[in-house]
Amino acid sequence: MKWKATLLMAILVFAVIASGCIGSTQETKTETSKVTLTGDFTKDVIEIGKILQQNGINEVKFAAWGSGDPNSVMRVYGIVDAAYKINKIWEQNGIKVKITVTTKYDQSFKDQYQEFLSKQPLGQAGDFFVNSYAFLPTLAEEGYILDITEYAKAYQNVIDDFYPNLLEAAKYKGKLYGLPQDTEARPLYVRKDVAKCAGLDVTTLPEDVKSGEFTWSDVYYWAKKAKEKGCAEWGLIHRKGSAHPDLIQFIFAFNGKLYDPSTGKLVLDVPAVYKWLYVEWKFAQDGLLPKDIMSWDWAKQIHPTIVEGRTLFDIGGTWYWTEWQTKQYYHGRGLKPEEVKEWFAYTLFPAGEKGDKPVTLSQPFIWMINSKAGQLNPKYEELKDVYHALAFLMIVKASDSEINAIHSVISAHLPVRKEAAKLIKDENWLNKLKNLDLDLAPEVKDNIKDIVEKTVNPINAKFLADVSYMLEYTHLAPAHPKYPALADIFKEAVDKVLRGEMTPEEAVKFIEDKIKADKELADNVEIKGEIPKEWEFPRGD
Amino acid sequence: MKDVETRPKKYEGVLILAIFLATLPLIIGFSLLIISSFSKDMVTNFDFKSFHLTIENWINVFRGKLAITGGVKVNMAKIVLNTLIVALGVSGLVTLVSVMSGYALSRMDFRGRKWVIVSLMLLHAFPGVALIVGVYLLYRISFPQGQDWVRVYSFIYVIFARAALEVPMSVWLMKGFFDTIPWEFEWSGIIDGASRITVWRKIMLPLIKPGILAVALFSFLAGWQDIIYVRTFLIDQTLATFIEANIEAEYTHMPLIAAAGTLYLLPTIIFFLTAQQILLRGYSGGIKG
Repeated sequence: MKWKATLLMAILVFAVIASGCIGSTQETKTETSKVTLTGDFTKDVIEIGKILQQNGINEVKFAAWGSGDPNSVMRVYGIVDAAYKINKIWEQNGIKVKITVTTKYDQSFKDQYQEFLSKQPLGQAGDFFVNSYAFLPTLAEEGYILDITEYAKAYQNVIDDFYPNLLEAAKYKGKLYGLPQDTEARPLYVRKDVAKCAGLDVTTLPEDVKSGEFTWSDVYYWAKKAKEKGCAEWGLIHRKGSAHPDLIQFIFAFNGKLYDPSTGKLVLDVPAVYKWLYVEWKFAQDGLLPKDIMSWDWAKQIHPTIVEGRTLFDIGGTWYWTEWQTKQYYHGRGLKPEEVKEWFAYTLFPAGEKGDKPVTLSQPFIWMINSKAGQLNPKYEELKDVYHALAFLMIVKASDSEINAIHSVISAHLPVRKEAAKLIKDENWLNKLKNLDLDLAPEVKDNIKDIVEKTVNPINAKFLADVSYMLEYTHLAPAHPKYPALADIFKEAVDKVLRGEMTPEEAVKFIEDKIKADKELADNVEIKGEIPKEWEFPRGD
Repeated sequence: MKDVETRPKKYEGVLILAIFLATLPLIIGFSLLIISSFSKDMVTNFDFKSFHLTIENWINVFRGKLAITGGVKVNMAKIVLNTLIVALGVSGLVTLVSVMSGYALSRMDFRGRKWVIVSLMLLHAFPGVALIVGVYLLYRISFPQGQDWVRVYSFIYVIFARAALEVPMSVWLMKGFFDTIPWEFEWSGIIDGASRITVWRKIMLPLIKPGILAVALFSFLAGWQDIIYVRTFLIDQTLATFIEANIEAEYTHMPLIAAAGTLYLLPTIIFFLTAQQILLRGYSGGIKG
């Protein structure tokens, strides 16, 4: 049996040596190259180009991942254009390095986030990742995205041009993890012809809403009147889904909270949630809002009902404005810009009741950089800092006010930079965009020309300029990991009150019970306040 | 004489009706998908007013254009090719392994044979999802650092990982096929001077063609439809991950996704139409005299 013992020992020794070898890296004494950003874009780009060239790199490969509606493709083409402009600078300065960018654009941003989560540790996720701010804290906590705080210090002039509240959405624990890419508002659309039929004056409506004079009691009053007079089939149509982030505007409109920054916990603000559910219940029970709207089809029911004028009010998003032009919701065709302008008025989401404030809600998308950006390039370990600095400069370039303004106009999202907001009001620039007479990468021009043709016109630009003020009233849904679970419970409760399966009181109790039943959720949600006993809705007249 | 049990004719109609009713939801689902792929709007119920004939969806799918208006373009040919690589890879690997192991388990006696046979079914019982953590970990420690090989390696890994899930059941099936072939076939070959390998290759394999085809077909479909492993490990998209990433009811032009879905179904339909005769054909041979 001796030979067996010897064999066993040999195997053991081999295994120990082999395990020691696995994962070990050979120590090399290559001089690491670092770059210090100066804030002068051209100078920094040239410096990086020289370092790459000295290290024998002639091609830098990056992948840009973006997602969203079909018109929001600048989320990836912004990066492609940044590469084009950096390549141009290098070419002009005799630097023989080129950036090539591959793009991946999916329509489901949640699915792409899941994919990023699984592929980032493997080094197979995109180097650039544009997605909802809501995912940023998790990605930052996991170390999956790059902390760009230090880089950003050199480009403070660019950073200062972003709207501050949006910049906050790109931060986590005081550190900057990306740059805002776009945002939106969620206006209340009013069908002008239906309003006229019902006797509602829409010309002063935006101001009345802004001052808090026109509240949800008034929305109910006019919705009822429009229905009773036979002006429309419905008084109100709203969005469906997980009640995130559209319907939770009601919580803010009724002066409620959803998050307590002092405890870091989510909040179930019982009075505000009760009032929200009561409004939903009242509208649905009085036949002003479809009881089954949470299961309506977007393309066959929700949008056609709005564009065909079968409702007085609609809670929508700014992107509806161009979506109605590019999709065939109106009797098999899209609306003309003139029609959208003529048929729809828009206001902030009205205050819940007198004394409250009007609101809107935004879900900014953020340009994030993978913490392993450039990993698939040569000499990654030695040149990591250079690749990361280059990636940062690319998102700076992709955030150029012109790129941001193009994205805003063609996708009906709101600009995130003040300079971009100015640009969309500039008629000359708009004409240039219409003719694609701008210095953009040929690939980008080629791929956006269809959208530009359909969406770039003074009417759409004016709409964006008109609704930009709404950002001053905006709220962000909490970027809390347990928020999606709470939003799903809200959705269930809304569906039940709409269908008449529960009264608002029962629905609030249902939400409380659901929270308490989930230990993790219960630990993360504070239940505050009680159902207001004396509260009345709507106004009596 | 028929080789199947016969039943009185009077019940035949009832049986056919019952089978038809049981499969009706599937038939309706697939039919609506195919009809929608040729329509401007989705046909999601029996209201055919929303059906407006068009081949635009198919043109857009082949052009990789995801929206009626828009700059979202994908290389559909590459996506289909990626799907084929994974499916054919899984199919080839599973067939090769199971044909050899099935033969060994059926014909050869070795230490632990019984244990291997019993554990085959146990292995098959593990769902892919349950194994994903281990498979993920293995991938993390095994993938190459060199940029040139990561993409290729991701294909190889997905093929091996997916094939590993299919192998136990396929081996079991192949063993069953080999078991049905009388020993006399092999003996006669060996007596004539052929080696075991030659006997396996020239005598046994032709006799179990339907079995090989069945294993190849089912493993091809397993690779074709895999989504979890492909999404987790593969750098490139396949049809399954492409469709999954683009179903966003609010944004997506759904008839276009219906066309992509129908394209995704095509291999299944084609395989079953062309292979059903071979699959149904049982063993029919004779003993060499």
